[in-house]
Amino acid sequence: MNSTQLNALPKPITEIRPSNRFFNLDLATVFRYRGLLYFLVWRELKIRYKQAAIGVGWAVIQPVLTVLIFTAVFGHFARIPSDGIPYPIFAFTALLPWTYFSEAMRRGATGLVDDAQLISKIYFPRLVIPLAMVVAPMFDFLLTFIVLVGVMAWYNIVPTWGTLLLPLFLLQAVILALAVDLWLGPINVRYRDVKHTMPFLIQIWMYASPVVYPLSMIPERWRLLYSLNPMVGVIEGFRWVLLGKGNPDFFAMGLSACLVLLLLFGGLIYFKRMERFFADVI
Amino acid sequence: MSDTAIRAERLCKTYRIGQRREIQNTLRDQLTESIKSAFRRSKKTSTVDDSFWALKDVSFEIPHGQNVGIIGLNGAGKSTLLKVLSRITEPTKGYARIEGRVGSLLEVGTGFHWELTGRENVYLYGSILGMAKHEIARKFDAIVDFSGVEKFLDTPVKRYSSGMYVRLAFAVAAHLEPEILMIDEVLSVGDLPFQQKCMQFAKNLQQGNATILFVSHNMFSIKTMCKRVIFIKNGQIKFDGPTDDGIRVYEKECRLDNLTWIDSDPEDWPIHLTDIALHDEEGRTKNIFDYGERMRIKLKFHGRREIKRPNIIVAFIRSDGVACCNFSSALDDVDVPAICEDGGLELLTPPLKLVSEMYTIHVLVREEGFQQAVCAQVGMTFHVRHSTLDTHFGVFHEPAQWVWNPGEEAHSPDIDARSNTGSFVE
Repeated sequence: MNSTQLNALPKPITEIRPSNRFFNLDLATVFRYRGLLYFLVWRELKIRYKQAAIGVGWAVIQPVLTVLIFTAVFGHFARIPSDGIPYPIFAFTALLPWTYFSEAMRRGATGLVDDAQLISKIYFPRLVIPLAMVVAPMFDFLLTFIVLVGVMAWYNIVPTWGTLLLPLFLLQAVILALAVDLWLGPINVRYRDVKHTMPFLIQIWMYASPVVYPLSMIPERWRLLYSLNPMVGVIEGFRWVLLGKGNPDFFAMGLSACLVLLLLFGGLIYFKRMERFFADVI
Repeated sequence: MSDTAIRAERLCKTYRIGQRREIQNTLRDQLTESIKSAFRRSKKTSTVDDSFWALKDVSFEIPHGQNVGIIGLNGAGKSTLLKVLSRITEPTKGYARIEGRVGSLLEVGTGFHWELTGRENVYLYGSILGMAKHEIARKFDAIVDFSGVEKFLDTPVKRYSSGMYVRLAFAVAAHLEPEILMIDEVLSVGDLPFQQKCMQFAKNLQQGNATILFVSHNMFSIKTMCKRVIFIKNGQIKFDGPTDDGIRVYEKECRLDNLTWIDSDPEDWPIHLTDIALHDEEGRTKNIFDYGERMRIKLKFHGRREIKRPNIIVAFIRSDGVACCNFSSALDDVDVPAICEDGGLELLTPPLKLVSEMYTIHVLVREEGFQQAVCAQVGMTFHVRHSTLDTHFGVFHEPAQWVWNPGEEAHSPDIDARSNTGSFVE
């Protein structure tokens, strides 16, 4: 291309100034960098099981082992009821979204710091990193889902037509993970305490969600408060659409969905405000 | 479109330093600090001026197609300026406008992943630098060709040598085809043929009317690449104009700053260097010397007590930290008279046979031959210039004598051992 041709093209203009107080998500730039999002997700998938003999098999082995352990400990020894569903299926239907969520949350919260080099040396919309971290674990989710369908077939349980609604509940888990990451990621940039808190946060959150026990064990008067935990709606939703059991509380689900959106919106503002200093403090 | 590629208006960048940042490293500290500050009467008292101005009122305009070198000592704000202009960090105040596709290379290869293969990294790094997937696919062959690592494309880069790694990374960056390129001391990597490729690449970009902003400590490459320099000191522009004048200002400004102590306060030492100046054999001030030229170093000292039989040592340290040579008055059997109060000394080096690079002069004074050091200072920097000899040829180069030997033993007595120049003996 010679210079006259170059001059004829309109040149992109970059304006640099301290960002004002107004809320400016600048999603257009994020969209322009969708190629980077794609490659970051791809990188996550590529490196996750590199130099592991079983490789991608781990994506299947991990949830299956967890289901076995939970079945032994909570189903057999502790004799926790499972609303008439075989305990392995009961635990598996909850672990499917839970594993995705905890993984997306953990990787998203620490992702910015893991890519510190990138942030301090190269410009790109920082939002791409938490986005990539919540998209990447969906691959494991899909594999686990296939295994779950297999296990359900073993128990002669056929997924209901409600399964078509599954993406809706998955979406809630994705948005929730993203929202949490938008808060925790920037805090972790400044204070690495977040990284050390993560394992506990994940454990506490799991026991505050109906993963190993049914929602029916929660006393009626506490149930609405309990349902404010958005993962309650996700897990109950998964059991409902996959197994056709239970009667979901749509009011509580709607309330928790609103809470997720609120968390997401606040997270976006917070993230945008903090990202200006990422390169300086990371 | 306008003629201006980059316009900066009073750019400022401050960093918080000192106590506040040190203390608030954990959440607990942050909490206690915020509780404490809530009880303080006014917010202003708690934010005493603990800020550091990395950039202060930096304004300039660069027209399309101009190469500009940015020079200054470490910590002067050069890298901060590039970071602000490439949007990695935000300015505290001010405004800048850039017209054209920006490519910034603050470090070659950030974004490469060790576990991924060369081929995978080309795509990953390309997309990190802002290229679209189809764009990378289209340029893939050219990139691989430029890098010269096609044999190892499917090897994870963790098994690459550092040279291969840098070459592949730079090859990707080189194909970004930016209209405005900002580089931070990255062209000085790789081996000689690759460096020449890089320089050629920079020239091609320039011919395509690209604007290059080039940060370097190497005055020699600044001189070859740029007609204009911006000299930054303490976050402010000290000079903006023709390269030769700029380098002169830079060297003058930095001379006294360069007279720093290797460690501790000058007051603790019995004697210190007050001035250092470099000249050629005829006494002209300069700091770029041609290979083979002799150098005259003039030193001035101030002693706080009498130093008996001082041994003055002048060492040349290459920019990569290699100590290249050492001149010592005691080794040369020079009787330097005892120094008390002020004294001066002049040293004429033998012809410099060091390879083309930047060197820093370290000055050391020892008492009574090689006894206790009484002065240790870092002086000026200078460059040695040669068209081919660089660090890949070693530390220094001396011509040797060669004998062509057609199938029989060499007749060593034929070589005149006293001859200084390289010659072919028939």
